[in-house]
Amino acid sequence: MTDLTYAQIDETVLNTLERPRPRYWVFVALMLCGVLLGAGAWAYQIFVGIGVGGQDIPVAWGTYLINFVFWVGIAHSGTLISAILHLFRAGWRNPIARAAETMTVFAVCCAGLFPFIHLGRAWQVYFMLPLPNQRLLWPNFLSPLMFDVVAISTYLTVSSLFWYTGLVPDLAVVRDRSTGLRHKIFRVLSLGWSGAHHQWLNYSRGYLFFAALATPLVISVHSVVSWDFALGVVPGWHTTIFAPYFVAGAIHSGLAMVLTLMIPLRRIFRYEAIITLNVLENVAKTMILTGLIVGLAYGTEYFIAWYSHNAVEWESFRWRAMGEYAYGLYFMILCNVLIPSLFLLKAVRRSVPWLFAISLAVNFGMWWERFVIIVGGVAHDFAPHAWGLYAPSLVEYCIMVGSFSLFFFLFLLFCKHMPSVSMTEMKETAHHAG
Amino acid sequence: MPAETCIMGLFKDDGKAAKVILDLPAAGFSFRRAHSPIPSHRILEALKLRKGRVGWFTLTGGIIGFFAGFALAIFTSVQWNLIVSGKPIVSLIPFFIVGFEFTILFSVFGNVIGLLVCSRLPDYGGLESYDPRCSGEHFGVLAACEAGREGELMDFFQKKGGEVKVFA
Repeated sequence: MTDLTYAQIDETVLNTLERPRPRYWVFVALMLCGVLLGAGAWAYQIFVGIGVGGQDIPVAWGTYLINFVFWVGIAHSGTLISAILHLFRAGWRNPIARAAETMTVFAVCCAGLFPFIHLGRAWQVYFMLPLPNQRLLWPNFLSPLMFDVVAISTYLTVSSLFWYTGLVPDLAVVRDRSTGLRHKIFRVLSLGWSGAHHQWLNYSRGYLFFAALATPLVISVHSVVSWDFALGVVPGWHTTIFAPYFVAGAIHSGLAMVLTLMIPLRRIFRYEAIITLNVLENVAKTMILTGLIVGLAYGTEYFIAWYSHNAVEWESFRWRAMGEYAYGLYFMILCNVLIPSLFLLKAVRRSVPWLFAISLAVNFGMWWERFVIIVGGVAHDFAPHAWGLYAPSLVEYCIMVGSFSLFFFLFLLFCKHMPSVSMTEMKETAHHAG
Repeated sequence: MPAETCIMGLFKDDGKAAKVILDLPAAGFSFRRAHSPIPSHRILEALKLRKGRVGWFTLTGGIIGFFAGFALAIFTSVQWNLIVSGKPIVSLIPFFIVGFEFTILFSVFGNVIGLLVCSRLPDYGGLESYDPRCSGEHFGVLAACEAGREGELMDFFQKKGGEVKVFA
């Protein structure tokens, strides 16, 4: 898997923590501007009211919920790569596990912002917490929205702890090869890790349990997100296929984001010897599987709508393909199923430009999948007189730009200040290969 | 108690480090600790260690979480005794989701606490008898000898192919 020695692995990864060039800070500043734009738009919404967004009856769930589901989806492949593939002993996940876990944590942070933004009066968020109060009001745990609060906050906590636990041995490597302030910071962050035998003994067990616990969690979280929709009676939402459909879609989009992030990272940090073409090819192979599952789910939805003889359901799906938002459906079929099937060709799987282009297409298509499901469901439900269309407002666009900027801003800061590839896991790979 | 000196032998191969650990008692030295950049099965086998106890903390956390999740959902629903959508006040199936998420959350809390307790972290004091090369490419075996036998222990490590570091 890797021919590098331990010293070469350390050197390659630690070189990425050298003082960045001015161009790096230009990108950071650009992303910060995007974050400030989003924050400004949110502040404006708080002062003026939620009405500055384009959401209105019948489409009360617009880009805020689309972006929420999109970011939760992106968060899923990090855990897939770090936990599920760890349990399967898939050695190819080692070079990309750290960056994917980091992506998970930042994506959940971005996702977690959207319920606050969509709440309008964000300061009333404490209503979702089970706090004793004078009116004896408590959250209703029968509601799928409360399932979501529990699931997403659990996922954020677990993925952050999993990420930090995995980082500890690498933080010690940075501590041992740094001086001055950086040494002091990493000395504290690494918790005094010395790689002693009793530490490894318990660490290996603990990491295995982390992986074993994160695996059912990752499946449950996007299932719970899907039930936000599936437990409603809206045509196009009220279906039992939603949980596996959402989980497969989440992993599909997350893997695409892994490629989107890894390919520039690999080139900029000269990680070619660590993140080899074989690793990228294996991600592409996994995307063939997830793309086929997503395609099967799209087809099954249509088949069941037709086979059920439910007029409302069938009208909803007819409108998806022929109504005002039909382009969204075609984007999602094209970008999520047809274009990724090009990965069946080895030449495409092993071409970095193709991998990058297809990953961008899947990210685009997965965003549109959420648009078609969320907006398409409520825009055209039971009563024709209540049908209506939706277009995001400028405030929503700014907040969306802000969320993407926040994600890339955090990732940029991370990959220049923390080891973006797990040196310990790469050494283990080298050890087993040797 | 006679004064002791700690000396570390540094090896580039975990097999050699494991062999040294096995040979130390016969040579009359006492083993203190092994440090390595990766978890080494050879070293752990040489030390004949049983599995870590982290799992017990994880299990305890999980059991607490399972009951805490159900208890929270049941407690809050009986405080506001209103039937919603015809569902019973205490609906076990939806509450299972809360119970499940709490099980995972508390298991992870237990796992982290177990990891910290069993690994004795944070341990900033332990770095005093530690060589930074052990996080790079060396496997370190820390052994103690009585005062006056330092030379013997250093020779022992060097004969086994290791480099030597003496701690005061």
